[in-house]
Amino acid sequence: MLRLAVVLLLAFMTVPTVVVIAVSFNPTAILSFPPAGLSLRWYENVVTYPQFQKAAVNSLLVTGGAVALALPIGTLAALALERARLRGRSVWAAVLLSPLVVPGVAAGLGFLILAAGLGLLRSRTVLIAAHVALVLPFVVRSVWVSVRNLDPALERAAASLGATPWRTFRRVTLPLLRPGLFAGLLFAVVVSLNEFVVSLFISNRVTEILPVAMFTYVVNYTDPTIAALSSLFIVATFVVVWLADRYLDLGRVFLQH
Amino acid sequence: MRLLLLPAVVVLAVFAAALASLFRWSLLEFIPGSLQTGGLTLANFRGVLAPQYLDAIRDTIVLSALTTALTLVCAYPVAYALARTPSRPVRSLILVLTLAPFFTGAIVRTYAWVLVLGNTVVTWPVPMLFTERGVLVGLVHFSMPTMILILAAALSHIDPVYERAAASLGASPWRVFRRVTLPLSMPGIVSGGLIVFAWTLSAFPTPELLGGGKVKMIANVVKDLGLDSFNWPGAAAFAMLALALTLALLTVVGRVTAGRAT
Amino acid sequence: MELRGCTRDYGPVRAVDGLDLGVDEGEFLALLGPSGCGKTTTLNLIAGFVPPTAGRILIDGEDVTDRPAHLRGLGVVFQSYALFPHLSIFENVAFGLRERRLPASEVARRVGEALELVRLERAGRQRPSELSGGMQQRVALARALVYRPRVLLLDEPLAALDRKLREGMRDELRAIQRAVGITTIFVTHDQAEALGLSDRIAVMSQGRIEQLGAPREIYEHPATRFVADFIGASTVLRGRAAAADRVTVAGGTLRVAGAALKPGADVELAIRPERVRLAPGPGDNVLEARVEGLVYQGAQTEVTARLGDGQRALVFVGEPAPVPLAVGLAVHLHLPADAFMVLV
Repeated sequence: MLRLAVVLLLAFMTVPTVVVIAVSFNPTAILSFPPAGLSLRWYENVVTYPQFQKAAVNSLLVTGGAVALALPIGTLAALALERARLRGRSVWAAVLLSPLVVPGVAAGLGFLILAAGLGLLRSRTVLIAAHVALVLPFVVRSVWVSVRNLDPALERAAASLGATPWRTFRRVTLPLLRPGLFAGLLFAVVVSLNEFVVSLFISNRVTEILPVAMFTYVVNYTDPTIAALSSLFIVATFVVVWLADRYLDLGRVFLQH
Repeated sequence: MRLLLLPAVVVLAVFAAALASLFRWSLLEFIPGSLQTGGLTLANFRGVLAPQYLDAIRDTIVLSALTTALTLVCAYPVAYALARTPSRPVRSLILVLTLAPFFTGAIVRTYAWVLVLGNTVVTWPVPMLFTERGVLVGLVHFSMPTMILILAAALSHIDPVYERAAASLGASPWRVFRRVTLPLSMPGIVSGGLIVFAWTLSAFPTPELLGGGKVKMIANVVKDLGLDSFNWPGAAAFAMLALALTLALLTVVGRVTAGRAT
Repeated sequence: MELRGCTRDYGPVRAVDGLDLGVDEGEFLALLGPSGCGKTTTLNLIAGFVPPTAGRILIDGEDVTDRPAHLRGLGVVFQSYALFPHLSIFENVAFGLRERRLPASEVARRVGEALELVRLERAGRQRPSELSGGMQQRVALARALVYRPRVLLLDEPLAALDRKLREGMRDELRAIQRAVGITTIFVTHDQAEALGLSDRIAVMSQGRIEQLGAPREIYEHPATRFVADFIGASTVLRGRAAAADRVTVAGGTLRVAGAALKPGADVELAIRPERVRLAPGPGDNVLEARVEGLVYQGAQTEVTARLGDGQRALVFVGEPAPVPLAVGLAVHLHLPADAFMVLV
């Protein structure tokens, strides 16, 4: 009974993905399932459509910039959160994680108004700043878990063996934080690449990232191009999640809170 | 050590500045046809209560409540299997199938439902796409991964020995569930339910694409007013409403979980 | 209660291996062994928490192998007690009665009696987390006894208690079991608990029963080297039989009372360190040795002595010692003829 229910529910979660991939190989512009034949023309369309090319570059710039900033910032914050003598540690933690709970439309419209006031509407600066804020909680949380599991005795041992604080950080602390850093990086990249609501408000045809370009395309066209692009996203995501589960043991990351 | 927080504080300050701008504009008078604003006013918040918007608010609350209930029912068995399966491959499979949608962006996931609900795969006996039914299906699908993870975390904290103890005392599997597993997983049910409810209150891509303009939730009104009508003050008032509702609910979650912990 | 050829595999690991075990009505039986010996799996098989890979399980002559745990009518006390944290003490004890659909008045009466039996009649409204470990343990016992199960299973019930409390609980457990007269199977890794509590002990190792017998029999006549090693300290000496009751060890000849050995055969003799004495000089059943290690323990000193052929013997010497002990000292060990256990 339970097994059947679980299989059906997992199917409910997975079937749309399968449909997207199947439709992406459809030879005609009319959506049909199962596909009437096999064709790669929509993949070709994805690669050659100029707006997607532009958006892909934007995505790389925005995600690359945001992650490059958020990873060190979040790591330092996680270290401070666990190690510094802080008053109201739980308040600090809540504040650092707060961008997670702000509705996308509120943050998006807020950044839009802020950017307009600063005259930054045409640049990617606001987009990157918003993405940094949105991925920061994921970095802080992942790294924080690693910091908490770090035995301070190991750092004291390094110091007793003659390592300077900086050398201790480089040779002991940082290597031990690697799983948390890696998980944080993974989350940050995935969240930023897929961010849509906030980005919709603060990007235009020149700066828009892939999810926004896809949204515009879906609203205006019905051919399976988006199915092809979605399939690429899906396959990439599955590979990343599978690798992460293999090397990070996601069960430990997600079930121990 | 405390200085290490400084860069993060700067980031959060920018974020706070955005929300402060939102708040300020929600109190400014809207001048139609321009991005200039007049003086301070509460008119935008009165506008929220206009009949056409009240419908959106009512729909939002009804859809959020239904989504929460359905997601709880659908997520529980999967979470239970995830928390209790002894086999590592099975656990990995469930986890990957759960997390993959979680990591696949909103647009990809919603577009998938446009295909499924739009009579591409099967012909539905009742219209699904561009109806509240269809939006509901999409919202449940969207909330499932979060709910599964929260419930599985709660369930994996319950020592299976309690279930064995109940069985040894004569409780059938169903009674074990009713009298032991379910009550012990209540903290997860409450926080999962509230979090999903709060998130659904401000859901945007799902009603936007699956509602096709016919189903409007609060976030869709914000987008319509802000990006299509350039009524930033009106949109800001609605966004503040969504923000306030979400924060109120999450405060309740915090209280509930803190209360359980002590 | 009877197990017939029960086997349980976890993947490639055989936790319980073709186990045959009968428990008599009203008996208190201990399953004793080191961790990983299969004793907890055996308990889980009896309780119905895991199905056997092969074999049958009988209760009162009835085959219950395929019966789920909740229909077996057994009482189980778990190592962690497993008191339901969301229910009061009263409701915890009432759990089994409510599953049996007893009327409310009957439930109240029997829960009251059960709590009285374990001297906790006033704790009914409290939550498990408000009680001490010893009290929780007594609640767990009351909960398992209140619906008068046919068999009581105890999984290391004393392991979570500190030492003082454990000794008190041990006596109390025995008294309650005697008073109720219930067949009890008790899993433990603590030999003192097993020796002090049970009518019979089954010593387990690697999924099999090494020896089954009364505590005194197990201690005084261990059937195998494993049992001799596991129950109490012992020294095992290898030698060769010179006659039916003579064994040559380290150049000396020892008489072994009551033995019927085949001359020329290799023999292993076990002896408890408290039975070995320091002798003033050579004599019957005396071997020469040299002190190799000393561990002072207050009431006695543990002496490791090395025999002429390199074998080591453990000797407990009562304090004050008859001679000043020092490493390197030459000593004579008297090994009484009736103290040997011949291992098979």
